[in-house]
Amino acid sequence: MIDLRLKIDDVPIDHPSIVRLRTDVVESEHDAVLIDRDHESQTFDLAGYSLRVYCGPQTDLDGDVLLVVPGRNSAHRLVRAGSRHNTFLVTEQCDQLCVMCSQPPKKYHVDLFEQFTVAATLAPENARITISGGEPLLHKRRLYQFLVAAAKARPDISFHVLTNGQFFEPGDIAIIDEIGRDRVLWGIPLYAPHAELHDSIVAKRGAFETLSQNFVTLMRAGAAVELRTVVLQQNWDVLPRLADYTSTRLPFIDVWAIMQLENIGYGRMNWAHSFKDTSLDFGQLRSAINLAIGRGIQTLLYNFPLCTVPSQYRHLAPSTISDWKNKFLEECGECALRSTCGGFFEWYKADQGFGGLSRQ
Amino acid sequence: MKKRRVYLVPSLIAAGFMPSKSDAAPLVGPTKKNPATTLFERLQVKQVYTLAGHSSHSSHASHASHASHASASGGGYVLPRGDYNNSTTYTQPDPTPSYSPNPVPVIRSLPTTPNIPATTSTGSYPTQVAPQSSPANTAPMPLKTLPGNSDKFRRIVIQVQTALIAFGYFGGPVTGQVDTATRVGLNKMQDAYGLKVTGTITPQVLTAFGISTN
Repeated sequence: MIDLRLKIDDVPIDHPSIVRLRTDVVESEHDAVLIDRDHESQTFDLAGYSLRVYCGPQTDLDGDVLLVVPGRNSAHRLVRAGSRHNTFLVTEQCDQLCVMCSQPPKKYHVDLFEQFTVAATLAPENARITISGGEPLLHKRRLYQFLVAAAKARPDISFHVLTNGQFFEPGDIAIIDEIGRDRVLWGIPLYAPHAELHDSIVAKRGAFETLSQNFVTLMRAGAAVELRTVVLQQNWDVLPRLADYTSTRLPFIDVWAIMQLENIGYGRMNWAHSFKDTSLDFGQLRSAINLAIGRGIQTLLYNFPLCTVPSQYRHLAPSTISDWKNKFLEECGECALRSTCGGFFEWYKADQGFGGLSRQ
Repeated sequence: MKKRRVYLVPSLIAAGFMPSKSDAAPLVGPTKKNPATTLFERLQVKQVYTLAGHSSHSSHASHASHASHASASGGGYVLPRGDYNNSTTYTQPDPTPSYSPNPVPVIRSLPTTPNIPATTSTGSYPTQVAPQSSPANTAPMPLKTLPGNSDKFRRIVIQVQTALIAFGYFGGPVTGQVDTATRVGLNKMQDAYGLKVTGTITPQVLTAFGISTN
């Protein structure tokens, strides 16, 4: 597990600020260069002020972008230069209450888009930044401003926006064009092929209908869409029908991501009646994958440890669990698949988890 | 029966048996490109993206884009609320779930494990280009994100510069910014006080001058 927050000594500021840590060169006024290091910390020259960041002596902070907040003795590591898993949590508000939500919503929102814009411009070359929430499109105007500004300032970076798709409007097509259609991958969840079940899983009446309408807008916009379906006990039986729905109604999507449940947030609370042990029963999933792939939908399995997937389907299961929150179990030991396997979520509980794990 | 015939010709065209209109179109000079993007063009562009995305699929290691549920755990960013005039609230539109999750938030323990060294990156970091405001977005984002632009930060620097002048390590002017002359003064002062010589404002400098950051 990699810490996304770093303990720091207080910095005298009165609004949230962005700092990029560098070991040698300074290229931006946001850069703070390393001036000292000891066994428990590294000290950076932040505009003439000593910013002390506590970390192990081996930690490489070069290029990391921090969000420093007034009065706090910890900084958020918004961008880790050595990682491909950089996520900006732009809001914690949400209009849905999904049974598997890993980041349950909160009432308050603080607008940090200004900070995120600067952070994005300081990211390493060709970075891909995930925008998550809450529901980012609840603050659509600000989100679009951020995406346009960051995309223009940095033609090399791209974005992966995780949204429930409830707030797209036909008028958004122009702004999607302006950001660049090839710059954003929209990750949008769909849990069932009909309104009743989807709406109950996301706890919002009318969500399915709205989403269906908005998929039309996204298709017309030529937007790149990653359709995301978390496998649950609730939708297990309808997975083949969902594959049918996806391939007939949403054939324009880039990829259909079928995902395993993450044992955190509401997902942990609802684990007992939501987690589907696909290591013991792959049946409906097999039918769904076969149907979707047969009809030309690129289908992938996210967050599935490789040994839980029948060998013929393992090539569909890339290592997707973010580097800072994945782990391997003791029984993984010398497993031959370890180098390509994403392992388990940090918070995975073996006694409630997969029954069919086996070293390969 | 007659109805079927209506579909016959278009389906032949679709199957490529008949010349399409563009083949027969007279050759004209480069026409002005229609500014409105057609659906066809949009889908064409997307193909490029699909291929680009696909190529990365071959290397599993680069699958980061499909970050699992990208939950920013460790929770959100801890911020004092309502301090920046941009805090808003959102009220749930009273969902009537037939499957209602218990709305009690699950408290997540924050990891305290030591940092695992991040992979060394050999990439270069492009300098920051000031984000341009888009014509579609009237309000450009004011950049209040630089620590040195913070009033509090400048106030501390001014206090330090004043103290350096008072104790004879610095000849001014008081600017609120740590410039070269200030750094030289800090070096001298730190050396004279037996502090670690950094040329920056350290907690020891503040303590020695009795300057509080609060």
